[in-house]
Amino acid sequence: MDAYITKIKEISERLLKDGTVEAVIGFRQGTVPTMSEPCMIKRSDDVKDLVWDSNCRINLCNYLTNRKEKLAIVAKGCDSRNIVTHIIENKIKRDQLFIIGVPCKGMNDKNTGELQDNCGTCTHRNPVIYDELVGDLVEEQTDVDKYADVKKVEALSSDEKWNFFNDLYSSCTRCHACRNACPLCYCPTCFVDESKPQWVGKADDAVDIRTYHFLRAYHCAGRCTDCGSCEAACPQNIKVRQMTKKLEKDCSELYGWEAGLTLDERPPLDTFKVDDREDFIK
Amino acid sequence: MTDFEPKIVSFLCNWCSYGAADLAGVGRAQYPPNVRVVRIPCTGRMSPKFFLVALREGADAVWVSG
Amino acid sequence: MPLKYGIDPTQCIKLTKDKCGNCEKVCPTGAIEYDQKETTVTLNVGSVVLATGFKPFDPTIFDTYQYSKFPNVVTALEFERILSASGPTKGHLITRSKDHSEPKKIAWFQCIGSRDMNKCDNGHCSSVCCMYATKEAIMAKEHNGDDLDCAIFYMDMRTPGKDFEAYYENAKKKGVRYVKSRIHTINPIPESESLEVRYVTETGQIDTEIFDMIVLSIGLESHPESIALAKKLNIDLTRSNFAKTTSFEPVSTSRKGIYVCGAFQGPKDIPESIVDASAAAADAGEALSSARNTLTKTAEEIIEANVQGERPRVGVFVCSCGTNIAGTIKVDEVAKYAESLPYVEFVTNNLFSCSQDTQNKISEIIKEKNLNRVVVAACTPKTHEGLFQETLLAAGLNKYLFEMANIRNHNSWVHKDQPEIATEKAKDTIRMSVAKVALFQPLEEAELQVDQTALVLGGGISGMSTALSLSRQGYKTHIVERSDVMGGQANNLFKTAKGESIQEKLAELVADVNNDGNITVHLNTSLENVQGFVGNFESTLVSGGKEENLKHGVAVMATGAYPYQPTEYAYGTDPRIVTSQELDQKFISNDPSLGSVKSAVFIQCVGSRNTERPYCSRLCCTHSVDNAIELKKRNPEVNVYVLYRDIRTYGEREYLFREARELGVIFIRHTLESLPQLSIDNGKIIIKTKDHVLHRPLEIEADLVSLATAIVPYRDEKIAQFFKLPMNANGFFVERHAKLGPSEFATDGVFLCGMAHYPKPIDEAVSQAKAAASRAITLLARETIHTSGQVASVNTSLCSSCGVCVSVCPYSAPSFLTEGRDAGKAKINPVLCKGCGLCVGSCRSGAINHRGFDTDQIFAQLYTLNEAV
Repeated sequence: MDAYITKIKEISERLLKDGTVEAVIGFRQGTVPTMSEPCMIKRSDDVKDLVWDSNCRINLCNYLTNRKEKLAIVAKGCDSRNIVTHIIENKIKRDQLFIIGVPCKGMNDKNTGELQDNCGTCTHRNPVIYDELVGDLVEEQTDVDKYADVKKVEALSSDEKWNFFNDLYSSCTRCHACRNACPLCYCPTCFVDESKPQWVGKADDAVDIRTYHFLRAYHCAGRCTDCGSCEAACPQNIKVRQMTKKLEKDCSELYGWEAGLTLDERPPLDTFKVDDREDFIK
Repeated sequence: MTDFEPKIVSFLCNWCSYGAADLAGVGRAQYPPNVRVVRIPCTGRMSPKFFLVALREGADAVWVSG
Repeated sequence: MPLKYGIDPTQCIKLTKDKCGNCEKVCPTGAIEYDQKETTVTLNVGSVVLATGFKPFDPTIFDTYQYSKFPNVVTALEFERILSASGPTKGHLITRSKDHSEPKKIAWFQCIGSRDMNKCDNGHCSSVCCMYATKEAIMAKEHNGDDLDCAIFYMDMRTPGKDFEAYYENAKKKGVRYVKSRIHTINPIPESESLEVRYVTETGQIDTEIFDMIVLSIGLESHPESIALAKKLNIDLTRSNFAKTTSFEPVSTSRKGIYVCGAFQGPKDIPESIVDASAAAADAGEALSSARNTLTKTAEEIIEANVQGERPRVGVFVCSCGTNIAGTIKVDEVAKYAESLPYVEFVTNNLFSCSQDTQNKISEIIKEKNLNRVVVAACTPKTHEGLFQETLLAAGLNKYLFEMANIRNHNSWVHKDQPEIATEKAKDTIRMSVAKVALFQPLEEAELQVDQTALVLGGGISGMSTALSLSRQGYKTHIVERSDVMGGQANNLFKTAKGESIQEKLAELVADVNNDGNITVHLNTSLENVQGFVGNFESTLVSGGKEENLKHGVAVMATGAYPYQPTEYAYGTDPRIVTSQELDQKFISNDPSLGSVKSAVFIQCVGSRNTERPYCSRLCCTHSVDNAIELKKRNPEVNVYVLYRDIRTYGEREYLFREARELGVIFIRHTLESLPQLSIDNGKIIIKTKDHVLHRPLEIEADLVSLATAIVPYRDEKIAQFFKLPMNANGFFVERHAKLGPSEFATDGVFLCGMAHYPKPIDEAVSQAKAAASRAITLLARETIHTSGQVASVNTSLCSSCGVCVSVCPYSAPSFLTEGRDAGKAKINPVLCKGCGLCVGSCRSGAINHRGFDTDQIFAQLYTLNEAV
């Protein structure tokens, strides 16, 4: 980790000094010990604040949306995949970015201190797009069952599913922290805030809560990298990835698609092809 | 369950299924009156929210055809 | 056929015996007139188009098949009806045995009434039966499950149409059995209605199989009435009694001004019939072009009332449709209910809402009651929306302030025995419609001028034929050709299948183009950029480094294809091994080397129907057979062999196949797995293959080898990108609709013809060229285009610039704004938008409104379900 930090500082200092970028987006020590917090370093003197540890779980790509200046960003595997999606979706331009790639061995759960669920099944620990690496690439995990939890829910009966999701979201307060932490949620006006038409009620009615999570998951379909920011941000410790992962699994099985791996192709739900698969529509 | 009459909301594509339902009428095909049709210009118009609204408004099933 | 009833005078007892007369008594509109008489009408016309179709072959004469005796021997057309949901078995695939059991085994016999000069006089191939039998077999399996055994007994599988070969291969994968054998007799099995057939397999063994059903794949022939009509019109017929045409005027009969399209021109599938139909329209249109728009009248313009901001005042008109609706639904009750709905100001019940006097009445009521939204609860908007919208216009109301509630097709007709529930359902439907219509806003239709110029890309036979047709109908046309010569592939071709000299005809065509004042030819020119859209394209042409901008309203893709340069069969190592085109050139130049040829071998499917190019190149079988005949005619002593997989001389090209065999050309079959082997040994060309009859290896020494090479598309990604045109996996352009829109693209204003669409012989290329011109003129002739008001539009303040709409739209209607405050946000061109709503459904930011189907309007329908469901 120390080698990473040294390298991150070294690259950041260089980029800020020679004017390659106007700011570096990275992590610094947070106010609580188990949470490193995102920061934007604009002066080379402040580079000393930058850290890297297993609490850098927030997805920094979120801070790139609609930026106009030249930026460096510290990116682990999932951040880099979201950067790819950001570039595809015109949120940032590739030539605005200097990507400091961090090969990642996983982040720790903010409560248990153990490896996060999503990191345990991650198959893209290395950045997929970068300008400079802070260390050697790490070995990718291959023999993991990414969707064991989804399969468990899929196997439930309708009633069991109903109860499962009821329980899952029972403590949700609709604070929208999951949305705010998500790099995919950048709409000028989120559907939850829209009133004409009103897509979803504003109160904490159970149906509205489920509607919110359901629609948000759909908006992430084919784009979600399972970075886990949403869960990390949730103050109620709700497993909000349960829904997004189901759609990630569908995209993988129906279209052979993994989000954020290529700049050359848009996600399957963004495209219309005459010969699109439709054998699963019954 | 024998008395159960499902309430079905169907979203029918104007160009195929809506026309097909018209033709079913022309052919005087008889079918149960449990369906309420919402005409849409194309199934591409569907939004997940349409399902949710229909279900919330009491439908037992939502049928999209196109 | 319009959906109107008629009286059969031979059956009506009122007309035959002066009894009954019931229909007159019950008809609420008094439409019955028993004294109507057949009248003769004389029309003066400049052109006549014969579209009289074909007659399905009647297989009764085949006494060994006993079609009229065995209930389970059916024709393919009858089988179509059995598969049809509206057919006699309501779509259930059952045998015609007494127990109506489901068949376990079905056989199709191909070429019944086709390729047969013994039992019938139809020497032609009917072109469509191999495909329809394959389709029927797949559908049968879909109906009754994969266990159903489907066997197709055939002579040659002829699937040379676009995407047909893939369909055939897919059928094999799905387990449809293809047996190359012609069956002589169907034997009944005593005490059973199953049928036994005996046949010789390819390995020479005799096999017996029992089928529950046998489908005769009957051919297409000219109807005797068509033949009689042809005599009356004094037009020439072909050997098989189809209307005679030439390759370069494929829809003109032998008599000037009389055109033909569809199966009376020759047996053909739907896409070719549609192409012909458009081509005939083009030819007739050329004759009529000077009279265009001389008989049109301008409609009286009614000022539209401004209802913006007004509280909705909804009028509901409940139609009885005679007894069609009122016979089941209690319309009075429904009308009374409608009065109770929010915003409803006026409700009435009409006997026939669509009758002219009711239309006038509705229009009066709208004005009198100051209605600003209208719901008609009647039949279907698919047929009547336009009519009622006209009524709104007549009353000075924007036509989009209208909604139909379908209480006939979707209700009274389908719930005849449940009048109570049907009445409730009608109330629900009207309530949902009223909720929706209240949210409607007046919509505008964009109007744009159509530039009266056409751009034709490609100067081959197709491009030139399109240009000439466009020019003859009065439109300025530019042909852009990348090479330095007009004519494309035709420059290398010898003769058409009908025997015309291609070089002679090509020279005439080029001269016609060059002498045409409306046509500008740009040789050595490439297309480097295209901007704009239907009616208003602007293209950048580059020639010799010089740029020229051209404005045009429509564009025709006639970019063609080229012959595959083979790497197989030692091509290129020996001058005696040539491609079909090179052999043509030898014929054209009377190459002296032809004189010394003693043994010629034609090898088919070189580069076609393989893994790299899975499609059939359509024209090579005819080409090789034709060239084989030419060799035999020049020197009957030459030994000529054609090594083939299936001979696909479809239509009347079959007569060439017959002629070749009669002249002694030897046809030897092989498969993709056992291709012929060619070796050159001491200067001798030796071809090894297997005799498919004797199953013995065979060696042929050849001093001429002609390779029937595949036709390869140019796969011009750049042009596809410019006009946003789709391309299939093989690199051919994808037309708007495989059957019904073969000569145009889904992109408005762009049309398609020739080999860029699919490999095709000259007659079909010319036909499609004329068709493309015809389709283009439907746009050009309008001069201005009004688009639908029901389109998508972007609310830029909500747009997140993510580009989903730009990516997902099949019609390229959305794009990014490039300047101004909203630069980077999406906008939708209402001219290109087809109103499908794909972008609306895909927009995560909710930034796209769908006029006429907006989210809040659909929500309103759903929110008013609650009483319904």
